[in-house]
Amino acid sequence: MLSPAGPGGLPPGGRPPRRGPIPSGRSAAGTLGGVVLPLVLVVVAACVALAAWATVFVVRDRAVVLRQLWGAAVVEGLMLVQCVVLAVLGLGGTAPTDPVLLWGYLVTALFVLPVAALWAFAERTRWSSVVLAVAALTVAFLEWRVWQIWNA
Amino acid sequence: MSAPGTTGSGFGRVLVVVYGIFAVAATARAAVQLLRDWHEAPLAYALSAFAALVYVVATVALARGGPVARVVAWCAVGVELVGVLAVGTLSVLDPAAFPRATVWSGFGQGYGYVPLVLPFVGLWWLWRTRPRPDAAPPAAGGSPAPVTSAHDTPEDVA
Repeated sequence: MLSPAGPGGLPPGGRPPRRGPIPSGRSAAGTLGGVVLPLVLVVVAACVALAAWATVFVVRDRAVVLRQLWGAAVVEGLMLVQCVVLAVLGLGGTAPTDPVLLWGYLVTALFVLPVAALWAFAERTRWSSVVLAVAALTVAFLEWRVWQIWNA
Repeated sequence: MSAPGTTGSGFGRVLVVVYGIFAVAATARAAVQLLRDWHEAPLAYALSAFAALVYVVATVALARGGPVARVVAWCAVGVELVGVLAVGTLSVLDPAAFPRATVWSGFGQGYGYVPLVLPFVGLWWLWRTRPRPDAAPPAAGGSPAPVTSAHDTPEDVA
């Protein structure tokens, strides 16, 4: 599974490429690889925003509202897109050194927000907002780990 | 706040979610470690698996509530507290014994010290939601149960 670090996942101006100059041949994988970091950042930003929104509700002593769950659904959609991108990259040979770990984190992250959403229906107090905030921050943390593992 | 005896509602849901996250994280971590790198650090990885089991039991017990589940939860959270303190202390005193990290290494510093705080919160919550005699209505919230004064010992009644 060891493949050249290649263009996949390296931020422009980030770490110096480990193996020679960036190959220009595999442009398709190259452009897709350039999407990995923006996707991680978008998901993390969305999670932080969702957590902040939920925290406001905690302060105001309110339960989770449906709109926040739509927000969580958007985050889930972004994560699914991310999974597809990483799967395509993986099949194309730009696999991380530890795919088991990577997919463990990706799949786990998918389940966190749905659980918080279930709680939101079951617990109609401010504590559902706390749960949503915790869940969103957990996903953000998992995404950060995904980025770390992708670059490992 | 939730009624006495129930551990899985109100703040309890937050606790269950955090325990659940740690249960999943520790289980996944232990599975990868045991299946792939068992030979690298058997003690640390066995501890990871044990910690995962404790978190799973605590999560289920806290979520279910009820008399039996409460006893199980007390035990699981208690074991968790002992585990994080023991492993944390050992990993600081003798780092060579833990060449690979577990959830409890360094008092859970790899997880923002949440594993250290969590058992205390869990025990507090179990104590707080303990079933009380029907005499006192639960409206008093977190105040400790009224202690019968030291004067009326049963022996004096005779």
